[in-house]
Amino acid sequence: MGKFLLLAFRNVFRNRRRTVMTLMMVGGGVAGLLLVGGFFAFMFHGLRESTIRNGLGHIQIFTAEHFQRDEVHVLDTGISNWRRVAASVRTGSHVRGVAPRIDFYGMLSNGVKSSVFMGSAVEPDSERAMGFSPRVASGRDLGSNSNGEVEALIGTGVAKSMSVKVGDGLTILAVTADGALNGIDVQIVGIVNTGFKDLDDRYLRISLPSAQRLLQTDRVTNLVVGLDDTENTDSVAATLIPELRGQSQPMVIRKWIDLAAYYQQVRTLFSGIFLFLGIIVFFMVLMASVNTLLMAMFERTREIGTMLAMGTPRRWIVALFMVEATLTGLFGAAVGVLGGNLLGVALNLSGLHLPPPPGSDVPMAFKVLHVPGLMIGASLLVVISLALASILPAIRASRLQIAEALAHV
Amino acid sequence: MHPSDDLVFVDAVTRKFPLDHSAVTALDHTSLRVAAGEFLAIAGPSGSGKSTLLNLIGCIDKPTSGRIFIDGVDTSQLSPARTTALRREKIGFVFQTFNLIPVFTAAENVEFPLLIQGVNASERRTRVTEALESVGLAGRAHHRPDLLSGGERQRVAVARAIVGRPALVLADEPTANLDTHNATQLIELMRDLNRRLGLTFIFSTHDQRLLEHTPRIIRLTDGQVESDTHSQGDSHGQILATCVS
Repeated sequence: MGKFLLLAFRNVFRNRRRTVMTLMMVGGGVAGLLLVGGFFAFMFHGLRESTIRNGLGHIQIFTAEHFQRDEVHVLDTGISNWRRVAASVRTGSHVRGVAPRIDFYGMLSNGVKSSVFMGSAVEPDSERAMGFSPRVASGRDLGSNSNGEVEALIGTGVAKSMSVKVGDGLTILAVTADGALNGIDVQIVGIVNTGFKDLDDRYLRISLPSAQRLLQTDRVTNLVVGLDDTENTDSVAATLIPELRGQSQPMVIRKWIDLAAYYQQVRTLFSGIFLFLGIIVFFMVLMASVNTLLMAMFERTREIGTMLAMGTPRRWIVALFMVEATLTGLFGAAVGVLGGNLLGVALNLSGLHLPPPPGSDVPMAFKVLHVPGLMIGASLLVVISLALASILPAIRASRLQIAEALAHV
Repeated sequence: MHPSDDLVFVDAVTRKFPLDHSAVTALDHTSLRVAAGEFLAIAGPSGSGKSTLLNLIGCIDKPTSGRIFIDGVDTSQLSPARTTALRREKIGFVFQTFNLIPVFTAAENVEFPLLIQGVNASERRTRVTEALESVGLAGRAHHRPDLLSGGERQRVAVARAIVGRPALVLADEPTANLDTHNATQLIELMRDLNRRLGLTFIFSTHDQRLLEHTPRIIRLTDGQVESDTHSQGDSHGQILATCVS
């Protein structure tokens, strides 16, 4: 077995120029996949963290009823004893903070014109403690104490459509928990750019006490849990489930991935693109390798004939070619992983930036993450490509007529 | 005589090769018996059927008609796998162009037949050393073929052919790529191995000078045995003269 592998190993480096070309081709494929995949991984990571820090949080806690039926009255499926639940969750490990939220809807008016809004009520201090800050285009975030004024943040679209700016006032109207109509005056302290135009056209954010006063309730829609690290989401979620069983209302939790529809869509799209690239690399390596291996087989016809004449089983010849191809794939993968990572480091150090993505005016950093799973996957892809590419030449070699092969010039 | 009495029994073998709409007859109802321990040359001009006959005896080609027995086994009845096993266990080959594996050293080339026979590593080492010593190349064991002279390469090929202790060694024009000195040395080496180890050698050649060392010569012409001459001694000068005349 050792000598057989030695023969295969030496055959790989028999024609050095061709082997170098093959390794460059295979390695180039692997490096390309690592760079593209590493950039996509960086994008996914950035989008994930921005999605979480833009307010989604790592885990959200709802009442079970919230997903079972539509509300008859405002917040009648909300959490009533949210302070106790929040205090309990806050004591858990890896928990950075817990923030109550109310999602509500209503009308806002500048006295001349009215428009529908989608409101979000928050505890600004709790949000800030977890690093969840809205992207304020002008003005400032909600303050901790408002001196009697009800502060509000509005989206850029709302500001434009209502012709208001920071410092102006608006009246917001909403249906209370009792079904009555209630209204409060708010002062705009900041204008927010969420990155999503449809949301900016309807966005309103006020403090939790103001919203509870408007809606005449002490309930909240949900509790948003922020963690020290996104990687801890699953473990914290697992510990929260039994902990929430003892509450007066049945509770359910949702992890960020369950709620981040946009993130999932982007990831699915780019994963599809990456899969397509992988398929191209697979076929590129397959086709080029078949050609190279057929050439190798042709050049070694007499040698194969000699081995067969000496009584070498034909399956050994098949195995020899497949092992040679697999070794080439492994060496090529090693070259690709090394080259891809070095290029990745160079790109990361270069400080390259891409143009700002839609909805943002900040150039996007071009970074490549070094993902071990990607390295293993890309390496396996080319090794399998090479092994598959060797099947045809290997079978042809094993089926050579010995007398003809020995007469081959 | 029963076929099992001979190491090789070629029984009315014909081999035709298709060529366009006709066929070329390389061997035409050729019969031959070779006893174990013989040292036999197949002589004849190019195209006389020497290589075809050796290929058929070596089971690397199949006759169009007729049968070939090796050590009493009718090779026409064997499956491809059994034919491969027969070659592996009973036949050693020496080729005109040496046909060594270029990425292996001399010792590794000699070791290869033992590898495919499944011989264990320590036994392989011993037998490779013995084989290389018997061809006078123990000192060149770790040289690759491209660092060996033509004569040395062919001696490595002989060592490779005998290391598996075959019943029969077939050598197709083994001296064709060697100068006279190396060619004579090779034939002497083969003859020596034949005497010392009792190995049966069948080799083809069209070099008349080499036949002087050969106790039995079969001369082929146009695919048929023209003469089958034996001598008790080593010198064949007289017999050759007869054959040539």
